[in-house]
Amino acid sequence: MKAFEWEQPRDWGEAISMLDPRDLTVRVMAGGTALMLMMKSGVFQPTRLISLQGLGQEAGAIVQEAQGGIRIGALCSLTALGQSSAVATTAPVIIRTLKTLSNVRVRNVATLGGHLAHADPHMDLPPVMMALGATVKTVGARSSRTLTMSELYRGYYETALEPDELICEIVIPSQVGRSAVYLKCSTRAADDWPTLGVAVNVKCDGDVIEKARIVVSAATEKPIELVAAQTLLEGHSISPSRLNDCAELALAQAPLVSDARGTASYKKELLRVYLKRAIQIALKGTIS
Amino acid sequence: MLVAKVFRSTMAHAVIRAIDVSRARAQPGVYAVYTAEDIVGLIAKPFYGPAFHDQPILALGKVHHVGEPVAVVLAEDPHVAENALASIEVEYEPLPAVFDEIEAMNSKAVVHEVLKPAGTFPDLKHLSGKKNTNIALDFHLLRGDPQKAFKQADHVFEHYFKTQPVLHLPLEPFATVAVPTHTGLTLHTASQSPSFVRIEIARLLGWPENRVQVKVPYLGGGFGAKLYIKTEALASACALLAQRAVKLALSMEEQFYVITKHATTLRIKSAVTKEGQITARECEVWWNGGAFADIGPRVTQKSGFTAAGPYDIENVQIDSYALYTNLPPAGALRGFGIPQLVWAYESHTDMMARALKIDPLQMRRKNVLREGRPQATGTLMRDAALVPVLERLAQLMHWDEPFDHGSGTWRRGRGMAIGFKASIAPTTSMAIVVINADGSCQLQSSTVDMGQGSDTAMAQIVCEVLDIDMGVIKVVHPDTDVTPYDMATLGSRSTYHMGHAVKRAAEHARDQLAAMAVEFKLTLNEVSIADLFKRKYGMQAGNVVGVGSFIPAYTSPDAQGQTLQATPFWMIGATGVELEVDTETGQFRITQMINLVDVGNPINPEIVKTQISGAAIMQMGFTLSEKMDFDEGQVTNASLADYKIPGIRDLPQFMHNEAVSAFEQSGPFGAKGVGESGTFGVSPAIANAIDDAVGVRLTDLPLTAEAIFRGMRIHAGQPLQED
Repeated sequence: MKAFEWEQPRDWGEAISMLDPRDLTVRVMAGGTALMLMMKSGVFQPTRLISLQGLGQEAGAIVQEAQGGIRIGALCSLTALGQSSAVATTAPVIIRTLKTLSNVRVRNVATLGGHLAHADPHMDLPPVMMALGATVKTVGARSSRTLTMSELYRGYYETALEPDELICEIVIPSQVGRSAVYLKCSTRAADDWPTLGVAVNVKCDGDVIEKARIVVSAATEKPIELVAAQTLLEGHSISPSRLNDCAELALAQAPLVSDARGTASYKKELLRVYLKRAIQIALKGTIS
Repeated sequence: MLVAKVFRSTMAHAVIRAIDVSRARAQPGVYAVYTAEDIVGLIAKPFYGPAFHDQPILALGKVHHVGEPVAVVLAEDPHVAENALASIEVEYEPLPAVFDEIEAMNSKAVVHEVLKPAGTFPDLKHLSGKKNTNIALDFHLLRGDPQKAFKQADHVFEHYFKTQPVLHLPLEPFATVAVPTHTGLTLHTASQSPSFVRIEIARLLGWPENRVQVKVPYLGGGFGAKLYIKTEALASACALLAQRAVKLALSMEEQFYVITKHATTLRIKSAVTKEGQITARECEVWWNGGAFADIGPRVTQKSGFTAAGPYDIENVQIDSYALYTNLPPAGALRGFGIPQLVWAYESHTDMMARALKIDPLQMRRKNVLREGRPQATGTLMRDAALVPVLERLAQLMHWDEPFDHGSGTWRRGRGMAIGFKASIAPTTSMAIVVINADGSCQLQSSTVDMGQGSDTAMAQIVCEVLDIDMGVIKVVHPDTDVTPYDMATLGSRSTYHMGHAVKRAAEHARDQLAAMAVEFKLTLNEVSIADLFKRKYGMQAGNVVGVGSFIPAYTSPDAQGQTLQATPFWMIGATGVELEVDTETGQFRITQMINLVDVGNPINPEIVKTQISGAAIMQMGFTLSEKMDFDEGQVTNASLADYKIPGIRDLPQFMHNEAVSAFEQSGPFGAKGVGESGTFGVSPAIANAIDDAVGVRLTDLPLTAEAIFRGMRIHAGQPLQED
């Protein structure tokens, strides 16, 4: 590790001004859990790190909105997220997901903004946020904008963020009448990056599925919304054959990749099983 | 103190054309950069190893595996040393490389042009290696007439098995501090074999042993990784060249290039009567030893003794080959090759039982070696509780009761496996017990406590002999200036070998105390030790020094692998497993694991239990999730993030660990070793249970959900696409 500069801005504007879009060795650091691993392994050697820890409590605050949605400051730690009653009321799937996300030491310092911006396809909250229809607000040198999760993720560790653009807030819309589930599986040790992640979010009117969102992650290069599969569900009640057809459409659409955790053809089988399980659990959630 | 950082080979096999360290030397803060050229100035023949002197301190002329140390940078600031590595330039001329143990048998790529047997250990004196091949050692055993028996057999079964490369991964990686002193050199090192380190460093330097002092604190795990020379030779050379104290502490990632567990290919063939009696067995084992022999030849030979399994088979042929390849070197890992062998022969047992429609327990009962019967080497089974272990396992598993195989998408299965091991012989242990004038005492022993509890067990032995309280004993940790020779802390040998030496030293001390008492017409029951010293010396003064040594009898096997003294004692371990398989995905969970061992009479029953569970969990990792992945000799998962050891959530739902009631007549207080026995049965017990649950037989480790799923799909006539 080489020596590097350490900056601690007090607001987003100052943080942005300290970035240098032409120099990728200048980066912000939120919780640092991913960055530290990259620095230890020598993959990333910074010349300047801009810590966001001095941005104040507001940068990590969770605000319940009157319309039922929530706004979460990007600097919110995963532990704070998991302990939030607003999150528990609005999107309990996040609370359930956090229980098996990494470990308590990581959750205490890792931030939601950093977690989403890292764009590691094995991470748990990107597919969950995508299924919830969340958006991210960004601040940049030139402008601020709002991105959907599908717009945010471009590829393997690749986002649509400019080098001098940061995620400052995550907005989750009202989930009234919806039921969301995230299932993941690992194929080596229990504490491993998932081999497959599946997030499902449904809104039902009686037996009929009005809206469905299906997202696959970990087995793909980025979290992907499986539009054809979810369209098949919308406007219908579930039957074994529709569930099968939905899974087949999902398999056809999901670009699964082979890696040390399993071959693509095996992950296809896992997706088939876990997707059906996730939909069934989500539907039960709407009934209860 | 200077910190050393190692520049490692990026090539699996290549001639070194040139090394340019000038830019690294010029970096501010760099104290020195050394290559083999510098080492040779200090040590003319800078090669070490317990079986062959094949491992250079720094690569000399060519590199043999990715990760081999090529140069070393010294600096006071570890970051400066680390950064300077990037400016070292090496020009390589690639050579053909061999990675697979079967290919290595006939490969044109030869890892070592010259073989240099070490001649250190008496059981490896015969080593010569085969010139112009990659064979470091071939062990052969022939008993009876297997070929004839195969011709006459009702059934012949032949199966192939494979085990994957894995590694020890103690959470404390390798670390040595070498300090030049006015008399020589002091090493503070994380080693399981301080006496060997002293002898080997002294040999390299051409010094008498007493100029090298080796001190070992508690270790953060060893498992066979920290044996013989690891970081010690390079640290010593650096310290002497720099004339400064040097610390060489490797990272977790570097561990992947230091020492591994042998990957193996195994072939096993049996002749069986229609009643299930095994009449002949042929075993061929190919051990992937990596680029340096380390202790691989001993693994090959000693495990060769028992490759045919704990069964009474009249006709046996065993051919076992230690092979050089261009992978990181392989050595001993908790079981000395036995887990690889048990994996094969106990999978084979169930495969035969299934084919013959014989219950797996009955198959084992019919063939198991009984007390007093000769084993494949001709050595008789003595104090070997094979039958009690097997029967206790059957009892704890309720094997004779109906078993619920599950229904729907969850299927249940159960499996068992039993294995045994010959101890490492002949090896020597020495101990000193010093009694002080106040009745307190020190035990000086070079046994290394790396978490296995040897300090406690040895202190208990002293207490028992001297009839004193545990509180008055201090166990002096290995320091070759004060603790006497011990071969090493390995192969479950300490309780038996060092236990004997310690017992003898304590008895020697007790006899001297008794003689002192006689001088005053007393017995030891009538006077305290402190009073005795006062009477003898008129004040609190003086010592009694008891010494003890132990080396068991051993006879080297003849050309047919036969000997009447293959081992001083037999180690036995068995595992029973129940599990549930999700037939939709192949994923499974172990609901019950029972591990049973014969340790003779346990010196400390609670420590024995934790040894059994620790060994079984470790082997479970080697069975289910651990695997070193290679690309052209480069490890592609050299980190704990990508190489998955089991965590708390991977443990079986229920575990039972037990030492059966037994007594080793030749052991100290009836005890024998336990460190490895818990590993023996784990892998095949799990595979046998998977087969019982879903009818899928896996022959390659690790046992993955995907492999099970693929097997089920093949059975269903819908094989999954390969990709």
